[in-house]
Amino acid sequence: MRLTVNGIERELSTRPLDTLLNALREELGITSPKAGCQQGGCGACTVLIDGEPRRSCLTPLVAVDGATVTTVEALGEPGNLSPVQAAFYEQYGLQCGFCTPGFVLATTAMLERNANPSREQILEELVGHVCRCTGYVKIVAAVEAAARGDVSEAALEAGATGPSRREPEVLVPGSPA
Amino acid sequence: MKAVGARLPRYDGVGHVTGRTRFVDDVRIPGTLWAKALRSPHPHAGIKRLDTSKAEKHPGVHAVITHKDVPRNVYGHLEALGVPADEPLLADDDVRYKGQPIAVVAAEDEATALEAVELIEVEFEEREPVFDIRKAYDADAKPFHQWGPAFPHFGPYASRRIRKGDVDDAFERADVIVQGVYRPQAIEQLPIEPQVGLSVPEPDGRLTIYSCTQAMYFSMGVVAAHLEWPLNKLKFVGGTVGGGFGGKVDTATETITALLALKANRPVKWRWTREEEFLCSSTRAPWHMELADAVTSDGWLLGRKMITLHDAGAYTRFSSYGVTKHSFHHTGAYTIPNLRFDGYVIYTNRSPTSAMRGFGVTSVSYAVEIHMNRIAETLGIDPLELRLKNANRIGDLTANRVRLSDPSTVPVVLAAADRIGYELGAEFKQMTSEPRSGDLLPDHLLTSVARDGGAETDGRGA
Amino acid sequence: MTNLTNVLVPTSADDAAAAFGDGSGVTVVAGGTIVMPDIKLGRLCPERTLYLGRAGLDRIERSGGMCRIGAATPVSALVDGAPEPLATFAAHVGDREVRGQATIGGNLCAPATATFSRGDLQAPLLTLDARIRSAGSTGERTDSIEDFLAAGPDGRLVLEIEVDEPKRAASASVRRPHAHAYTILAVAAAETAAGIRVAIAGAGPRAVRATSVEQALADGASPEDAGQKALDDVDPQDDAIASGNYRRQVLPALVTRALGDLS
Repeated sequence: MRLTVNGIERELSTRPLDTLLNALREELGITSPKAGCQQGGCGACTVLIDGEPRRSCLTPLVAVDGATVTTVEALGEPGNLSPVQAAFYEQYGLQCGFCTPGFVLATTAMLERNANPSREQILEELVGHVCRCTGYVKIVAAVEAAARGDVSEAALEAGATGPSRREPEVLVPGSPA
Repeated sequence: MKAVGARLPRYDGVGHVTGRTRFVDDVRIPGTLWAKALRSPHPHAGIKRLDTSKAEKHPGVHAVITHKDVPRNVYGHLEALGVPADEPLLADDDVRYKGQPIAVVAAEDEATALEAVELIEVEFEEREPVFDIRKAYDADAKPFHQWGPAFPHFGPYASRRIRKGDVDDAFERADVIVQGVYRPQAIEQLPIEPQVGLSVPEPDGRLTIYSCTQAMYFSMGVVAAHLEWPLNKLKFVGGTVGGGFGGKVDTATETITALLALKANRPVKWRWTREEEFLCSSTRAPWHMELADAVTSDGWLLGRKMITLHDAGAYTRFSSYGVTKHSFHHTGAYTIPNLRFDGYVIYTNRSPTSAMRGFGVTSVSYAVEIHMNRIAETLGIDPLELRLKNANRIGDLTANRVRLSDPSTVPVVLAAADRIGYELGAEFKQMTSEPRSGDLLPDHLLTSVARDGGAETDGRGA
Repeated sequence: MTNLTNVLVPTSADDAAAAFGDGSGVTVVAGGTIVMPDIKLGRLCPERTLYLGRAGLDRIERSGGMCRIGAATPVSALVDGAPEPLATFAAHVGDREVRGQATIGGNLCAPATATFSRGDLQAPLLTLDARIRSAGSTGERTDSIEDFLAAGPDGRLVLEIEVDEPKRAASASVRRPHAHAYTILAVAAAETAAGIRVAIAGAGPRAVRATSVEQALADGASPEDAGQKALDDVDPQDDAIASGNYRRQVLPALVTRALGDLS
């Protein structure tokens, strides 16, 4: 099986009827897609296949032969977050973080299709993603912020190391911290 | 208090959005084997025969463990506190809930481990299961647990007891007795990260254990006890938990992966499936609560009798602790001077129950608040005013004999009423948490309230 | 013994039919949404697998009052591309990601589980008088949807589904407000050249036609009176999602609502 994963073409030895999730995690060591339920019910394993969000736990590797697969690792990195990543970070659209990669990828793909989704569209598009920590309010706020482009420079650069690191990491000016 | 009111960034947020947070399942140690368990298909059965020899010979299998491989098979989380234990790590001569682990295999990959589990031969003698706590406590119920139908170790008593004031007198003086039965059911905590553990044997003879536990030092103690090892041979790596909500307080995978890792001399990972999570991970307990309140027609709570049955499932785990917390909160946010409470930990053939958000308290709060509404409805008085009248006040004594210095019932009820635009009588709008006086210190509360900074009276009646 | 390597990937319908043969020992995977979890949990141990995703069976063609849908067409493509009430039912399957992966053929052949029924698309297919073209040991053949459902999918490889374009169509359902809203109960109604057909999903292991309701309508009954006849056609069952009693209470109202929307 040959596929392009996060911009790099790969020849995989994982068996064709094994899951894409297993290939990514066990063969390639790409661990952001999570084995939450392994039956398509939680959304934690979501990756982009040719730009569309899909459940990697339901996808046999044979189905993605020749395809392009994107995981959250390719969207941005500490110090250089994508706007969606930065919005989830800045708006507290996460707690334990286990469902976060799936939400970030699904949101990224949604905003590609529809730059200005209504609240109802957001809920409908993300309905397959389960978060047990946040109660979703902050997640929806993060998606809306990302759609509005309401993302601070500090958030986009959060996690930077070295000389460019911004101090202190406080999002609201004048905060007593 | 620099953090209060400030909008601080999450220290772990960048890792979460970039996929760099390393959960237990993301730890990569070369040579890691996968574990899979043979679990009981029956809620209650004797084990007549257990033969793992075919599984052991299956290509790719490196270790199989049963109860015989556990140095100390029966150990309890609360044993360090003097509560005797009842739960085997791996089932010995019987199984008491569906999904109870009997044997566990470590193999090169998950599929091979699954195949090996299928090769384990086991013969059961099915027995009648018990699922309903109330029926399990019937006089003619047939207990299956070595301790009988209920956990018997609450100090000298077989139940968690609270005795305060003179409850019989309160019921004689009551204008009305209001009764209710409340039965909230089990809830699975359902973190998105399933139970997962990884144990790595180190060249120096120690074990490194990557754990998703919510209770790191508890789990260390539990593993050390089962292994009969000193703590200094265990290194636990944890702190990154993909949700727990109480469901990861129990030690689920650590001990078993440790034993397999030692037997195979290879790192061993055990990641539960979602099906296992639903089938046999601990849940919030079902409860059966019976309440009878002695009340006056103008809305004073004179006394409360309460019997609680807590469903421990097949083994005790933290149940006695949950029932104790439950008992402390059985008057809710209200002051009731005369109390008789009995809380029983009952065994059923369900998966053992354990912590979940507000362990033991959510059940009783649910019952108490519904019951308050029922009282208000019975008396024909306003439900919020009933709450304010009986609210905890500074100087009041709780069920578990805590003298309250900063109770929040009054301000919380007033704020809630305000937010929903609820009209209260003028005397209630003015209420504060200040110590009771005047009409709010009727005779029945005299001994239950500390007055004028004077000598503490403990409210203990005849 | 499970074999995750022995996977055939036909690139045409004929190749797929040839690879399927009489179907013995062959596990068919199209979208994978049903099969993959069963493999993962060891409930299904495929020795030889036929992957349908590249067999060119993913097209929708609408012409001459007919709509032909390849078996491996994703459910998401039906939402915009299939006639009603199929499109509405398709929009209610799973979530966005699952709809993009799951196929109409898989949905048609989905076995009911012990705890809930699957195969929501069976009901609209029943109302659209669907014809199922399949391959198997006796070669290619076309069955009515009712015959196909009665016989079950064993030994048959579904290639294409042909439905009539309806004159009008309607549906009504009760679903849980939940990410994976397995249908509690759903009613499809459509008028085609064959007349008005009504079908019910969620009341049993597979969808059924409500022939008593159809007869009542033909006899001039009102939507209310025809709705009451639905309980002559199905005996709703308890499952993990709803009780039979609840379904019995709700079903006549749903049928009435769908018929009301049809007129």
